[in-house]
Amino acid sequence: MEKVLLKLTELFGKTPNVILNYKKQVLTGLVIISVFLFYGIFSLTVFDMSSDSFLEEENPAQVALDEFRRQFGGDDSVFIIYSPEDGDVFSRESLTAVQQLTDDLVNWRDLDRSEYPEIPWEELSHVRRIQSLANIRVQESIGDTLRSDRLIPRQIPTSEADLQELRTEALSQQDYVGAFYSEDGEYGAILVQTDFGTIPVEGYESVVDIAGIELDDGFANFDLTFDDNAVVQDVEFQDTDQLAYFSFDEALTAVYQKYSSELSFYPVGTPSMMGQMQGVLNQMAVLGTLMVLIFSLLLWVLFRSGSALVWPMVTIALSVAWCWGITVWMGITVSTMIALTVLLIFAVGIADCVHVMSAYFSFRRDGQEHYIALSHAYEKVSLAILLTTLTTSAGVSVLATSNLEPIKVFALMSALGVILAFFFTMVLLPVLLDLWHPTAVGSEENPSLADRLGAKWTSIKSKKKLIIAASTALLIFVSLGLLLGAFINFVIALTYWIINSQREILARVPAIVQRSPYLILAIFGSGFILCAYGATKILIDTNIAEMFRADHPLSIAVEVVDQNMSGAQNMEIMIDTGVTDGMLDSELLTAVDNLQTRVESRYPEIIGRTNSLANIVKDTNQVMNEDNPEFYRIPDSNQAISQLLFMFNSANPEDRRNLVSDDYSRSHISVTARNLGSYEYKELFDDISLDVQETFAEIETDFPSLDVNLTGTMATLMVMADEVATSQFNSFALALLIVSIIMVISLGSFRGGMMGMVPNAIPAFLAFGLMGLFGIPLDTDTLLIAPIILGIAVDDTIHFMTHYRVELSKTGSIAAALESAIKEVGQAVMFTTMVIGLGFAVLSFSDYLGMAKVGFFGSMAIFVALLCDLFLIPAMIIIFKPKFGVKNVDTKIDFQGVTV
Amino acid sequence: MIATNLRLLIVSIFLGACFSSIFAQDLTGFDIMKLVDDAQRQSNDSSFNRMQLSSCKFGVTNGRITCADRPRVKSLESVAKNYGPELKDTKSVTVTLEPAAERGIGMLSYTYDETDRDNETWLYLSALGRVKRLASGDSDEETEPASLFGSEFTTEDTETGKLEEYTFNILEETTTAGREVWKVEMIPNEERAKKTRYSRQVHYVDKERHVVLRSEMYDQYEKEVKRLMASRVELVNDIWMSRSLTMMNLVTNRLSNMAFVEIYTDLDIEDEFLSQRTLTDAAYRETELEKLRAQLN
Repeated sequence: MEKVLLKLTELFGKTPNVILNYKKQVLTGLVIISVFLFYGIFSLTVFDMSSDSFLEEENPAQVALDEFRRQFGGDDSVFIIYSPEDGDVFSRESLTAVQQLTDDLVNWRDLDRSEYPEIPWEELSHVRRIQSLANIRVQESIGDTLRSDRLIPRQIPTSEADLQELRTEALSQQDYVGAFYSEDGEYGAILVQTDFGTIPVEGYESVVDIAGIELDDGFANFDLTFDDNAVVQDVEFQDTDQLAYFSFDEALTAVYQKYSSELSFYPVGTPSMMGQMQGVLNQMAVLGTLMVLIFSLLLWVLFRSGSALVWPMVTIALSVAWCWGITVWMGITVSTMIALTVLLIFAVGIADCVHVMSAYFSFRRDGQEHYIALSHAYEKVSLAILLTTLTTSAGVSVLATSNLEPIKVFALMSALGVILAFFFTMVLLPVLLDLWHPTAVGSEENPSLADRLGAKWTSIKSKKKLIIAASTALLIFVSLGLLLGAFINFVIALTYWIINSQREILARVPAIVQRSPYLILAIFGSGFILCAYGATKILIDTNIAEMFRADHPLSIAVEVVDQNMSGAQNMEIMIDTGVTDGMLDSELLTAVDNLQTRVESRYPEIIGRTNSLANIVKDTNQVMNEDNPEFYRIPDSNQAISQLLFMFNSANPEDRRNLVSDDYSRSHISVTARNLGSYEYKELFDDISLDVQETFAEIETDFPSLDVNLTGTMATLMVMADEVATSQFNSFALALLIVSIIMVISLGSFRGGMMGMVPNAIPAFLAFGLMGLFGIPLDTDTLLIAPIILGIAVDDTIHFMTHYRVELSKTGSIAAALESAIKEVGQAVMFTTMVIGLGFAVLSFSDYLGMAKVGFFGSMAIFVALLCDLFLIPAMIIIFKPKFGVKNVDTKIDFQGVTV
Repeated sequence: MIATNLRLLIVSIFLGACFSSIFAQDLTGFDIMKLVDDAQRQSNDSSFNRMQLSSCKFGVTNGRITCADRPRVKSLESVAKNYGPELKDTKSVTVTLEPAAERGIGMLSYTYDETDRDNETWLYLSALGRVKRLASGDSDEETEPASLFGSEFTTEDTETGKLEEYTFNILEETTTAGREVWKVEMIPNEERAKKTRYSRQVHYVDKERHVVLRSEMYDQYEKEVKRLMASRVELVNDIWMSRSLTMMNLVTNRLSNMAFVEIYTDLDIEDEFLSQRTLTDAAYRETELEKLRAQLN
């Protein structure tokens, strides 16, 4: 093994000069392929932006949801909560405003478009129905007449007494309180139902359009037969594009914001949430640019050379472009997760380039000539880069075991991207460095721009420096708040310190470690134990209200809905009796009614209200019996039920169809719940499933093929999120294992490999541990980034361990090998940490907590990884003295004589 | 109301034979529908119908559209008679015979020609023994087209008239099911658009017999959502008509077939029969129906 590694190292050392011999050919080849791939990116990229794409078509939850939509229509709605300025939903002013707004939304085609900003008007055609205090109706029986009047008449009363009467009547309507107005009358709601999720797929051709298809003769002969084996075509629905939600939300918002002086609005529901997400994406674009700027600036500051800024960026950009291009040329649909792939390629690409350039610049500083320095640099770092490429790509590939398409694509693309970054670092970077490189590194005669700026700062008086630094720090605190401000200031101070004293630090490290290796081990050890303990406490939970900062409009809206209304999340209990007219059975409907009462009383904190066919039957029964409240029950006779529903159906076929299938075999109970995290959703799902089983157990003999399922868009997404997160968590463990195995093999020693894994595990567990200790739930977004953190942390460790191992076999002395590793690799590791860590830290500013957590914990993990590499690994080497199979090793360690 | 609608449907969709091919060559889309409207008035005779309304999920077997599950069949009897100075108002009663659970459910409708006079509907639920007048309350409402006895047919599919609320285009002259037809497009105006579920309908009208052989209903996205297929076109009382209408819902893959098993016109119908008494008094209803049945022979 050792020989192979040495041979490889030698080979890598020759690579740059071999490639430079064919410089023109290499460049031409790369340009041609790049043009081809760029063409692919711009002409072939297909973005799947729908949230449904995260659900597999065959997934039982998705099947149930599709079935639900086919049968009962879409369940994607916007719930616009409003609070009037005068604090009373039933005041004349408020009622007038809501009436006008409702009219505007219903008759949006008639609005004067010049009064509104430029909006995509046609998107409003997704509106299926608008319901509000202004148009909801109450059925009542007056004499022999069954009336269905508006709760609030078109002519809104002017007298206080009449308004008070309306208020009293409204608050007595149990089915509407909590749905259209709060119990205290301070909040109202407008329900906007959409057709999202029920639009047939593009190009869907009904079977009846096939040429030559005719009606069976039975239709003409009054002799309708049926064939069980006839092929029934199921409608496939379009996945809803996030952009469609966004445009819809934009148009809807413009219409209701016209009333913002009378009413304050708090919209919730998938379309408005996706609208907010678009805002997040826009913010991400800004932050992403800022991140690249920070990457560039730091590369420039740290290396004090323009070429060190430009060439890594070119290398990374081409890695991203090739990765993207190859994917789309293979006909694969990409998702928004491509952003994470780009992030990973950036992190890995920067690490690769920084290691090469750090070595190159170091050799140049030592006075070596360009070609020799290049060759030495590649000889020194290539093996480690190859290993990091292997571990990182293996780590992300683990995610390909996910059964969700976008995650699978993300995993494979990321693995490809990491390999491409290695390829370009090996093939392109030498050529680029040959085209443009500093003529004389560190030369005082011909200083670079960065050198001159640095000199200027050094020339400022200490007092002045202190004032500038203090005011900058204060400004950061003021603009970012205490926590983030402190974090960013810490990072800046760290960078400043490292730029100024990197050599000093690195020179002192061995002595510090040698003085108290056990103390260092104890500190890191207890930190690790604490984090491991914290990780056991972690709650895997995806919660909409916690996806954004507490002061974000969406978080506020969810809070308002949960506090004042009966919630905005929807779950559906699908009931399939398996027999025609099953839902007309008195016992079955009674069981449905009992189930509703049971879940409403058992989970009053979570479940706002329930609605089903049973409510309709009871209500109609009362209305048909002189409004006598005693008749608010399910009749005993199946015939009576059938006729009550006949009446309901004649008047409201659409409502009936939304509640029960045409043959009355299937129906559903709608459950309105307050906002929950995916974890609680799963628990609630399990609890309700048990309630369902127990409630329907009694009638099982009458309905042997009775099937009851829980579904609903948000609920399904939440349950899926929970499953994804759990499987992600497990695959992370698998990634750790694979990386360990690669390290053991490449380092040629089990002990060494395991030792290398400890500094990897600490940063990875740090994020999980802290989240567990502080009760921050781990959601799907955070989990996806875990392999990236692991990959980056592992990179530095591998560089360190590989260098140490090579030096050990060269010198045969642990002390010499360790000293060399700290000195040689230390700087590159410090630089990559600075660049990637600071870059990631920028993401902490995202309003979207999923991204902010990734930024915050990611950058923290990267810095801790640096501390592990500089202190923990040396401490462990000093204590355990790993020999990596090298014979006759001198284990004597004495750094005390090291001079700074 | 339902009986009226059914009747209007029969007459309206299928142009009378009296408007023969003499006019045919010069007819515009509007002319065709105007003739339908006139035919409707002229043939508003006292009538008695026996109908079967069957609904099922449909599928395809051997290239034929057929029921994929056992159809739900409803048997109905309806009686209608015209009133008013120009016989433009209609009173009708429809009673359900089958299924057993719905037996005796009756609906009495008074449809008035005057625009400012609301139509009236009474519903009788036999199991509860109660009659209720259905009132929508405000008349300025956008009303949802009601389903006909739970079938894929809605009142909108069966209503005609109000031609001024539509514009018509003859799209092309072609053949369907081996017969020459006009394809007439029918687009609602702004006012009508608020009340309809369809943005557009296309009717295939048999050039010779003036029967609609097929209709396509499109939603606001220009997607065809429903399709009507006519079969068993026969000459009944000098009017060509389809006695079997099949409405396919292309979204839910369900269809309803309306079969006019028996059709009788020009009957002598007591005025009192078209009142609430027919709904509630089963004995009276049976006696009166017996009288009608006697006329059939």
